[in-house]
Amino acid sequence: MADPQNKKMEWTMTRRDVLLAAAAGLVIGSGLLLVPKRYFRMPQRSQAFVGKVEHYQLDIAATISRGIRELGIFPEEIKGKRILLKPNLVETALGAPHINTHPLVLRGAIEAFLGFGAASVMVAEGPGHRRDTLAVYEESGLANVLTEDRIPFHDLNYISGYELPNAGRQSSMRTLTFPGLFKEVDWIVSVAKMKTHHWAGATLSMKNLFGVMPGIYYGWPKNVLHYAGIENSILDINATLKPHFAIVDGIVGMEGDGPIMGDPKKVGVLVMGRNLAAVDATCCRIMGIDPYKVSYLERADNWLGPISEAAIEQRGESITSVRTNFNLIETIPAHQGLRLA
Amino acid sequence: MESSRLKRVTRETLSQRFLTEGGIADRVHGQFRTDATAWGILAFHAAGGNSENLERHRARLVQEQDKDGRLCVDREHTDSYWPTALAILAWQNSASSHEAQNRAIRFLIETTGVHRPRQWFDAAGHDPLLKGWPWIDGTHSWIEPTALNVLALKVTGHAQHERVLEAIRMILDRQLPHGGWNYGSTYVFGREHLPMPESTGAALTGLAGMVGQEKVAQSLAYLQGEAARLRTPISLGWTLLGLAAWDCWPSDGLALVERCLASQSRYGEYDTSALCLLLLGALAGEKGNNVTFLASSSGRPPALAVS
Repeated sequence: MADPQNKKMEWTMTRRDVLLAAAAGLVIGSGLLLVPKRYFRMPQRSQAFVGKVEHYQLDIAATISRGIRELGIFPEEIKGKRILLKPNLVETALGAPHINTHPLVLRGAIEAFLGFGAASVMVAEGPGHRRDTLAVYEESGLANVLTEDRIPFHDLNYISGYELPNAGRQSSMRTLTFPGLFKEVDWIVSVAKMKTHHWAGATLSMKNLFGVMPGIYYGWPKNVLHYAGIENSILDINATLKPHFAIVDGIVGMEGDGPIMGDPKKVGVLVMGRNLAAVDATCCRIMGIDPYKVSYLERADNWLGPISEAAIEQRGESITSVRTNFNLIETIPAHQGLRLA
Repeated sequence: MESSRLKRVTRETLSQRFLTEGGIADRVHGQFRTDATAWGILAFHAAGGNSENLERHRARLVQEQDKDGRLCVDREHTDSYWPTALAILAWQNSASSHEAQNRAIRFLIETTGVHRPRQWFDAAGHDPLLKGWPWIDGTHSWIEPTALNVLALKVTGHAQHERVLEAIRMILDRQLPHGGWNYGSTYVFGREHLPMPESTGAALTGLAGMVGQEKVAQSLAYLQGEAARLRTPISLGWTLLGLAAWDCWPSDGLALVERCLASQSRYGEYDTSALCLLLLGALAGEKGNNVTFLASSSGRPPALAVS
């Protein structure tokens, strides 16, 4: 004899119901696909330090040293390490020093790392626009500073590279080629400039790492990365290289049509941290930009680092006390809707 | 610095970078690199070096060539084929490299960057459809590789090839309205970008003998204005070459080169490719010079007028 319960089950599972259930499942499944991946990631936490530096003649090394200490980095972590500082040197123009990381910020970083016992500090860059790296090095004023300080400078555009599998897998690039010099250092520090960017929204410590990719393999401009997608490439480079620290020169940044043609913007801050995504999200908030609207940062959230304000422990100055809205150009698509409420 | 001393210095400096197995290193005790080898051959030849000494270096370039004719930065990076044009120039007038040179020419003629018609929403000011050559396979065409490839094809008798003529149009299209070139970007979001001496020098060298001077007058003026302040080898080298190609080599050219060479005490020993560019720029100032890629253009009327 048939069980009435079973009979009921048989009755409820008609072909129509099965189809409806499948359709509902499909709708729910599709809906989940539309939810940003970050909602499925384990939350991460990090710290960022904001130090006030009104102008470049002040003691920048002291601010960077204070930042390193307040971020909980012990001298033992730096002692004996070989440090590579990667500035943002793009090109030079008369009256536009705000295109590049200021040389005195690099001097400050050198003094700070050596002060914590670093075995050596070097500066290295592979500009994306100019094939004559030495010209940018000279005209930016960095050559004067490093020559005086007897700090070596390396042109990353012409250094033979080594390949690593692309750990980010956001673009179709299967491998990434980094300069061989990186095998000889312990810490890679992105010493970036606080700027708006007409393709990426903002260029900070993560985007700055485009400059580590040798021009002999990526071209001038580093067009291979453009074809792979600027945002994909930012994420791939950062996920694969795993830089150790970031310092962003926001003493005078660039607003408007960055990264070259924009106007100087005085903010009077240095922003630092171990986690580049957290540092860049903090910079965005200082610039009056919503980091969740900067596509590569939104995609990096809780993967390469946290970008939520609540997940970033603020050291030094508060964001509110130094916030200085950067001019955004509404006709530039990458700037549209970036403004932080 | 006198011209004869400059030639001797060039030969001696480069000899220190010759590798026993053939090829030229990127610096003293450095590593073989294809572009360094090609630039080194061109500079050594221009400095009156014995051509037989160069055959083993040319042969090394032949060894490094891929079957399809390309010559890459290294064997692991076959997309980085921009040294192909340099090898074509380095193989010029070498009977034993003739076949390799022809393969390389065929490769260049059959290869281009990524191009597409202009769209209404394009932020960039240039015409993206005009074909030149890229630095790296699968990317857009840019000024310096296009200028180098034009030079290589001109020197080997292909000045009238449709690829060269289109490349000339592409270079002219990327000329900045106020004169000069940069890597290849004119306007972005309505803002004119800035010129760069090395790109301007390369473009002018490529265009020499192919267009009338009126088409590049502003760019020549820009470069003439820049020369005196340049202190680094790539910028100064291309500047002197560009000016020499249009018979405008500056009277203080050798003094500028001497200052730039002296700056090695500040920057360290120059990379071979950069150093050779500088030395070629210096040697280009001499009448009847032996700079391979200037022989086909300097002082000659335009082979054709490209509108």
